[in-house]
Amino acid sequence: MDCQNLPEALRLMVVGMTTVFSVLLIIIGFGKTLIWAVNKYLPEEEQPKQQARPAAQAAVVSTDVAQAIAKAVEQLTGGKGKVEKIEKI
Amino acid sequence: MLEILQKIYDMTAFGELVESPQSLIMIALAFLLLYLGIKKQFEPLLLVPIAFGVLIANFPGGGMGVIGADGDGMVHFMKDGKMVARAVYEMSLPEIAHDMGIMNFLYYALIKSGLLPPIIFMGVGALTDFGPMLRNLKLAIFGAGAQFGIFAVLLVACNFFTMKEAASLAIIGGADGPTAIFTTIKLAPHLLGPIAIAAYSYMALVPVIVPLVVKLTCSKKELMINMKEQDKKYPSKSEFKNMQALKIIFPIATTTVVALIVPDAVALVGMLMFGNLIKEIGNSTSRIFDAASNAIMNSATIFLGLCVGATMTTEAFLNLQTIGIVCGGFLAFGFSIFGGIMLVKIINLFSKKKINPLIGATGLSAVPMASRVANDIALKYDPRNHVLNYCMSSNVSGVIGSAVAAGILIKFLG
Repeated sequence: MDCQNLPEALRLMVVGMTTVFSVLLIIIGFGKTLIWAVNKYLPEEEQPKQQARPAAQAAVVSTDVAQAIAKAVEQLTGGKGKVEKIEKI
Repeated sequence: MLEILQKIYDMTAFGELVESPQSLIMIALAFLLLYLGIKKQFEPLLLVPIAFGVLIANFPGGGMGVIGADGDGMVHFMKDGKMVARAVYEMSLPEIAHDMGIMNFLYYALIKSGLLPPIIFMGVGALTDFGPMLRNLKLAIFGAGAQFGIFAVLLVACNFFTMKEAASLAIIGGADGPTAIFTTIKLAPHLLGPIAIAAYSYMALVPVIVPLVVKLTCSKKELMINMKEQDKKYPSKSEFKNMQALKIIFPIATTTVVALIVPDAVALVGMLMFGNLIKEIGNSTSRIFDAASNAIMNSATIFLGLCVGATMTTEAFLNLQTIGIVCGGFLAFGFSIFGGIMLVKIINLFSKKKINPLIGATGLSAVPMASRVANDIALKYDPRNHVLNYCMSSNVSGVIGSAVAAGILIKFLG
């Protein structure tokens, strides 16, 4: 067992943990600033309220399923796509 | 007739296997790893190539084992029946392929050059969603607490290994295979095989190690802390008006911050964030996102696995150092989970809004397995307590944390 490296390892521990904490704290702070800046300068345009669907379409799938499909399309297309009609084939 | 039989016998590997039976131990180890990868499904995408690399590297006469360079960069190999010593960094790649075999060509071109770990990080980034982390930004700090194991084990290991070797061993505590490999290539390449095997084995054992450490350190009351109820009691002030834009800016901002503070971590963090950026941009970069997350990532994984496996030859693996790495790696992993849990406990002492310690336990990388395991533990104590999204925050930040820790070790010891 050779203890001569211990002081260097201790120093690395202090420097290492401090740096890791600092970097993540900065990322957290930066993230919060980003959220604020994006909310202020790049807010997503409000989606126009969807018109009431015809009764025939409402009967095709339940509201929950329609919402899930709309959410999936929104996520896949990055908010660009919209569900206009759901049909059972 | 006897002469012909003798020639046939010499042509096979049997003669050399009889002369050096220790190869059989490595072949048996390869079979065990293949069994664990195929039958037990322990990280099969990596364990199967690694195990097969071990297998083909340890058949005598095959010339598929990686010949590691010594401290002076010298490699020793047989050429025309004589042992030859050459400075490997002065050899061209075709020379390496000709004199030392195709596996050494792949190893020195792809692994020793440090190319593949950042490439894999790009693929990991393309498959990572930073959304949960952005929604629970404060929880990202546990990705730092869970790096404790790296530095704690460094303190112990430096008494038995050189500092560079100890740091390569300790980085196993980051629970991130590519980071462990990248650090080891830079600091102690001769230990690449055992360290990679230990890192991936413990990552595969996350479902065993996390519950063990949690059981030893957390009470039932702590594990029943319901994060959603805490959110209702103490609602967050953050609102998200454009998550898509946030997700695009975040990787660019993070890379900039890390590059300014720890430039040595940029190879890993930068590629991680690049992979994530091309995912978040959407349609206009979907083709390169597809390449990064599928074709390139899969090719890199195959070559990384095979080459790492091929470094595990009898001479490199069957020694006391390997046993030390296996034990030290386990300690590093355990201490990292412990560090994350302890940070939660300390914060809970001062905060009204309580945090489930499982979120600290997932501060090590191993995304998303650690989060899934933590969620299962929480559901055992309270079937309504879903902590997955909260755990993903610390889990994803743990990837950044371990890459930063690796950058620091490389900066100070490399």
